[in-house]
Formats: sequence, structure tokens, C-alpha cells
Amino acid sequence: MCVGVPMKITEINYPMAVAEAKGVKRNVNLMLIPEDEIKVGDFVMVHVGSAIEVISEKAADEIWEALDEVLALMDEREESGNA
Amino acid sequence: MDIEKIIKAYDNPDKLINLIKEITPTDRKIKIMNVCGSHEHTITFSGMRSILPDNIELIPGPGCPVCVCSESDIINAINLSKREDTILVTYGDMLRVPTGIGSIRTEGKNYKMVSAPHEITKIAQQNPDKNVVFFSIGFETTTAPTAAFLEIGVPKNVTVLTSQKLTPEIMDILVEDTEIGIDAFIAPGHVSAIVGANAWKKFPEKHKIPTVVAGFEPENLLLAIAVIILQLVNKKPSLENVYRGVVKNEGNRKALELIYKYFEKTDVNWRGIGYIPNSGLDFKEEFGILDARKRFELPQIEEKKIRDCICDKIILGKAYPSECKLFGKACTPGNPKGPCMVSGEGACNIWYRARKSQQGV
Repeated sequence: MCVGVPMKITEINYPMAVAEAKGVKRNVNLMLIPEDEIKVGDFVMVHVGSAIEVISEKAADEIWEALDEVLALMDEREESGNA
Repeated sequence: MDIEKIIKAYDNPDKLINLIKEITPTDRKIKIMNVCGSHEHTITFSGMRSILPDNIELIPGPGCPVCVCSESDIINAINLSKREDTILVTYGDMLRVPTGIGSIRTEGKNYKMVSAPHEITKIAQQNPDKNVVFFSIGFETTTAPTAAFLEIGVPKNVTVLTSQKLTPEIMDILVEDTEIGIDAFIAPGHVSAIVGANAWKKFPEKHKIPTVVAGFEPENLLLAIAVIILQLVNKKPSLENVYRGVVKNEGNRKALELIYKYFEKTDVNWRGIGYIPNSGLDFKEEFGILDARKRFELPQIEEKKIRDCICDKIILGKAYPSECKLFGKACTPGNPKGPCMVSGEGACNIWYRARKSQQGV
């Protein structure tokens, strides 16, 4: 529930938007970001369907790298556990 | 302390682990508490505890929102879902949290799961003759999206049962509890994005406790731990933020404005802990029309202790999941007895899954 996911904004109809991550598109509420501080192509941190902060592409990449790393750790442990 | 220099000099996990090993004093325990389920997840699944010096204790604190949701609120939610004229809507994790009378999933009747508050609008529009009650639980990271949902405007048949808690306020309680004896905090990354890194300033300034805002990558958490140990060694507690790509010192002003437009601080019951003054949020008087507690005149229900469950101690960092006699036996993620075993962010659930995978079972 508290796991945030970086997403890229692909369409804006403020205060709603469509955002994409890893090929998955979701409706996102932009109400927590002022309208003049967000545009298509920006990256945001999304929590339970709301963008809580605009982040840089670099930060989004780093966070995805971290998420992938943690997911891989889980897979690794779960695979070795099931072996 | 120049964090940039540390980041540059210790640019990989091995270097950070070696740094921590070199600088950690060996003459005492160092208790570092995290207050975020995702931090606990990374710490446990990366095996960080077994790599770091034995005298560094990484303690999971109250970082799991469903674990601290009061039983009274959950029972009220179950009862609302039993009304023919009502649909209860909440996040998936909440459906399985046990109470003395069962969970929403086992005892509830008309309920639906959502992954975002804005999905409720469609449910309300499709069911105009029903009361749709959103059971809004969690910390600042879920309260801000609830406020954002209300700000868009909700259908008339929507009300909200609030069970929203504030992280800085519970940390105040933890820091003053000498039984836990916290030496430092790893502050939650995304709660900090809302409240701002500065919300934690009081811990180093007033309580002399190093506090570092961290992200969720193992390397970032190791960096936070290295910074904490350096501060402890140098006896210079301060606030640092190593998750600057997401967290600003002042937080998200618009989110805070919206939260405090609709809600005000109130005393709330933390499951297993009790009432803590001003540690939660409830509707302001002028938004009473949105308040399910008022609309349905919901009662306060006395909390019952779950037999042999020590979630209350685990939430406060006074015991580890493995110290509970139910852990992994009568209480598992498939059949949770206590709230900490339900959510993927609960300490018992995380420890169970990590241990299970290690044991090869």
C-alpha cells in the first residue's frame, strides 16, 4: 500500500492523467501537484493512484533499478527456497 | 558531514559494508529503527542483518499501516458491509486483517477492493441507490491521495470512514520509550515526500537521535546506516536526507494543504498500543457530510487482545516476529492471527516469507 512506483505521464486532463511504467498504463490523480508544475513526459512517484511528487528521469530510473533489485532478491530467495 | 563525499568514496555496497564494519563501536548495541514496511522488506530480503556487525540491531517499527489500524474501525467496516444499502470499499490488504469477529473478507458482505481512491467514483456511479463507504486507512502516503480524491469532487452517495495515522507523532512516542532505547531512526522515504525531511528535525535537535531519510535500495539503506554510525561515533546527531531525488526538505506543500483542508488532528487508537493524542486525522466539522462515522453513527468498539499474539510489542520494536509463539505455526500469511502477518509490509509477514525462502521449504 505504501509502495511507490515511478511512472511517466503520457496524457493530461488535469487533475487526471494517464501514466505509464513498464508498458502498463494507469489513470493517475495529479491533484497533489500544481497544474503548472506538471506536463506530459514528466516522471512522477505514484502512491495508490496519486502522483505525490515530480521526480527526474534519472531518479525514476534509479528507483526502478532499486525496485527491480529488491524484486530480484525476492525471486532469488524464493527460487532457492523452492529448489 | 558531507554526504556527497561519502557517496563518492563509498560507491558500492561492499565499500559501505566495510565502512560500517570499520567505524562501528563494538562496546555497545546500536539500535536503529525503521518505520516503513518497504524499508523492512529491503533489509530482510537483502540479508542485511547477517552482513552487518552483530551489535547493530535493525528494528522494524510501526511502518505497516494495516497493522496499526484499530480493531474498532475494522469491525465498524465489517458491520457497514453487512448493510443491504451499503458497499464498503477499501485497499486489498485491509480485507484480510483479523479482528475478534473475523476479517472483512470472512465476515463482510458487500465489499469491493480498490487500488486507488478515484476508482470509487465509478463504483458509486454504477450503484446510485447504495451508500458507498471508503474505508481510508494508512499514513500520510495514503491520506494525501484520499484528500486528492475528495478535492476532485465525489458523488453524493460516497462517504469516508477514516482511520488515518500520522508518522511523526508515533515516532515521538517511540523515542521516549526507554524500554526500546532507540539510538537512531531511518525515516520513511515516501511519508517524507509528503511531510518533508524537516518534519524529523526534532529527533536530532530535541532528542539527540540521528535521523536519516532513506530510499528503498539496499545500497541507499546501507548509506543511511553508515551516516547514522558516523553521527553516533562523532556524537553529532543531525538530520540527513539520502533520498533527495524524491524527498524535499519542505515536503509536498499542496499535499499538506489538501490534507489539512479536509482533516484535522485528533486522538486515535493504534492497534495494540492505545490512544495517542493528536496522532491521527479525522474530518473537520465543515466536511461532516463526508464522514461515514457521523452519517452511520458508528460506535467505538472495545479492542480485544488476540490470544498469544505479540503484534503490539512487534509494532513498537520491543520484540522481533521470531519471538512470538504463533509465528510460522498458528500464524502464517495464509492464516494470519495477528495484523502484522497480513500485509506484505507487516514485519511478521516479511520475516515469514524471507525465512521460508531461506529454509527451502
